[in-house]
Amino acid sequence: MSMVVEQAGGERADLRRLGTLALRAGSLLAFVAVLVFFSATAPFFLSFFNFTNVIAQSAILAILAFGMTVVIIGGGGNVVTGGIDLSVAANLGLCAAVYASLIQAGQGDAVAILATLLTGLTVGATNAFAVVAVGILPLLATLAVMNVAAGLELVLTENTVLSASTPFLMAINNIGPLGVPNLAWILLVVAVALILLVQFTPMGLRLQAVGEHREAARAAGLPVARYVAATYLVSGLFAALGAILSVAYLSGSSTGSAELLLGVVVTALLGVVFSRRLVPTVGGTLLAALFIGFLGNGFQLLNISSYWVSGVQGALILLVVAATSVLRRKES
Amino acid sequence: MPSTDQSASPPALAMHGLIKDFGGVRALDGAEFEARSGEIHGLVGQNGAGKSTLIKVLAGIYRPDEGRIAIDGQPVSDLTPHKVDRLGIQFIHQDRLLVPSFTVGEAVFLGRERTAAGLLARRRMEREARALIAEQFGVELPKGALISELTTAQQQLVQIVRALAQKPRILVFDEPTAALVKREVDRLFAIIERLRGQGITIVYISHYLQEIERLCDRVTVLRNGRHVGTVSPAATPAREIARMMVARDIGELFPKRQVTPGAPALAVRKLARRPHLQEVSFTLRRGEILGVTGLLGSGVKELVRLLFGLDKPDAGQVEIGGQAATLGSPAAAVARGIALVPEDRRGQGVALDASVRDNTTLASLARFARGGLVRRSEEDGETRRLIEELRIRTPGPDTAVRDLSGGNQQKVVIAKWLARRSEVYLLDEPTVGVDIAAKVEIYRLIGELVEQGAAVLLVSSDLDELAGIADRILVLYRGTVVRELPAKDASSDALLAWSTGAMEAA
Repeated sequence: MSMVVEQAGGERADLRRLGTLALRAGSLLAFVAVLVFFSATAPFFLSFFNFTNVIAQSAILAILAFGMTVVIIGGGGNVVTGGIDLSVAANLGLCAAVYASLIQAGQGDAVAILATLLTGLTVGATNAFAVVAVGILPLLATLAVMNVAAGLELVLTENTVLSASTPFLMAINNIGPLGVPNLAWILLVVAVALILLVQFTPMGLRLQAVGEHREAARAAGLPVARYVAATYLVSGLFAALGAILSVAYLSGSSTGSAELLLGVVVTALLGVVFSRRLVPTVGGTLLAALFIGFLGNGFQLLNISSYWVSGVQGALILLVVAATSVLRRKES
Repeated sequence: MPSTDQSASPPALAMHGLIKDFGGVRALDGAEFEARSGEIHGLVGQNGAGKSTLIKVLAGIYRPDEGRIAIDGQPVSDLTPHKVDRLGIQFIHQDRLLVPSFTVGEAVFLGRERTAAGLLARRRMEREARALIAEQFGVELPKGALISELTTAQQQLVQIVRALAQKPRILVFDEPTAALVKREVDRLFAIIERLRGQGITIVYISHYLQEIERLCDRVTVLRNGRHVGTVSPAATPAREIARMMVARDIGELFPKRQVTPGAPALAVRKLARRPHLQEVSFTLRRGEILGVTGLLGSGVKELVRLLFGLDKPDAGQVEIGGQAATLGSPAAAVARGIALVPEDRRGQGVALDASVRDNTTLASLARFARGGLVRRSEEDGETRRLIEELRIRTPGPDTAVRDLSGGNQQKVVIAKWLARRSEVYLLDEPTVGVDIAAKVEIYRLIGELVEQGAAVLLVSSDLDELAGIADRILVLYRGTVVRELPAKDASSDALLAWSTGAMEAA
């Protein structure tokens, strides 16, 4: 039998490939350019201490964004109808409040950890129920749950800072092996584990199929609803994990955790441009979190107002969503 | 090839006495289907005949209300998609159900991935998928390509290989050629014949009788959810199969009227929008009803979109009332007196929550405005006049269109264009989803339109309807007019034969 090599797609596919490549290369280039620029202009930027510190400071944002990424992968990337978990930041606030108030009430770390994880999972389960069982749009369902979580946090804390300090929390906040902060190590371990799970196991591949083409996943016999529900549980779990790190980092619960939300959304969306196929990936999200971390750090070292960071984040969202939607339109 | 002792061994697939109701509508009414081991068995029927319901029952998506299913003589029950998969039945769906961002290897093995130490063996999946494609089809896909970068035909190959990787006993193809060009169809047929050679039983669903004739060993015809017959295409002319597909018990549905066609209202010259519409020419006169029919992919829908300015043509001219016209947008089409009564009435025809009045005057508000303000009393007057003229059954102009019956909603759509004083009416499946009494009302209304000098282009897949009320009928097949005939000479089975390509083959 003669072998025929078939040409794919034609010009439009080539264009799209080129566009994807340009976007990805451009984003990486922008990342490197930012690093080079700050290294040249900002004092101490390039120091080992500063570098590892930025990674440690990015840990909480990155971990929340991981949860968000998993939700987007499983729910699909459509900004309106796809998967999104707006409750992650409020969930973190509630979880941190639970942890700190238990410590204040004289409980040990073990009890506090357990209660915190349970709280995060419960919020996640509520999201899963609203989205999968009831069928509410994730955008609306998680917005409602966000308000509930924020309200519960206020009930617990009466809008005050609850300080909490234990040897365990201090250990998290310490410098660890090789002079690298433990927070950075934790981020690294969590990232590697999640990348393995999402990008390299059958379960992860199926999750991607569920999010990207639900009918195809169903036709392949996958339990679609169970996968989608699980993503909200994962997101809840990561919010709880982020809360424990946050309590350690700030020596207690803090008010205003809701402000984290924009950063989390930016990070998860920005992560898309670091992936070869222009889809959300855990690795891409990690890069995006570090990118944003270094940007803020550089601004700080140059004595530029941190308010600019918000502006840059907003501009990044517009840029990324515009670029990806143009490329996606070419696809259809 | 099927061996001679087939009759002795049990059929590979047997479905008997299937009944399935959907809220009062009986989709399957004792349907029967039997395929022998190792044959290509066609399944045909008009829209609504029960083909897709039957296949969804087999796929475990629908649970039949009654009926028995047996695989190789073994009765099976309580089918689920998972169970069907394990029984060795695979489906090649009409729409290619593949994840766009996956590689070929990932797409082929999704749900039954190859792993090493719990992690995906991506290289191995890619290698095995490519080997399978090369072995089965003699084709090599571009290295490292994602599904979204493949052509439609290549994606279909991936889907077939996905099914073959399961070593199926029964393979169901659902309208596989709808999106393929001729050369790709030929290759697909060669593949299907080779699969039969490997002993796989093939169920082949198609609108195209020509394909059935070329490919199938036997064909089963469904009509109204019932089994009409199972015949050999080699021994039965396609015309005869078409006749089996069409219902013949139609009463006096179609009101007669006498109108002599006048001056040309709409003339179309070599209009094309490739690939779906190759080249279409016709003239529609005032006072004339021109019927247009064709299956999915014939270009009928594209023609309507072009004439209403929803798409731009690649080539060709349109004349309205004898003058060249460019229909660049729906607004331009409406300004030239073209009216569209769309198939999706509730989505595109009316604003469901707005009143009968607001819907009626929506396209002609300028008529009722003075100094930028709409005059309610004039709107009301026109709406009441049209309610009476069209016999729209509504408590009044203020009633929300949502509360009207389907037939009356359709009349509101027509009223909207009458208020606009449109002269060329594009009616896209105007009687879909309305009951028989409302149908007759709509036919009467169409008759009145042409009596008043309007020109009507009636797009319909209801062939009895076309033969009943149109003056002339155009049949489109794969983007061209294959036949134009006066309605008095048209029978529904002849129309069906033309639109399925059965006549082209003869």
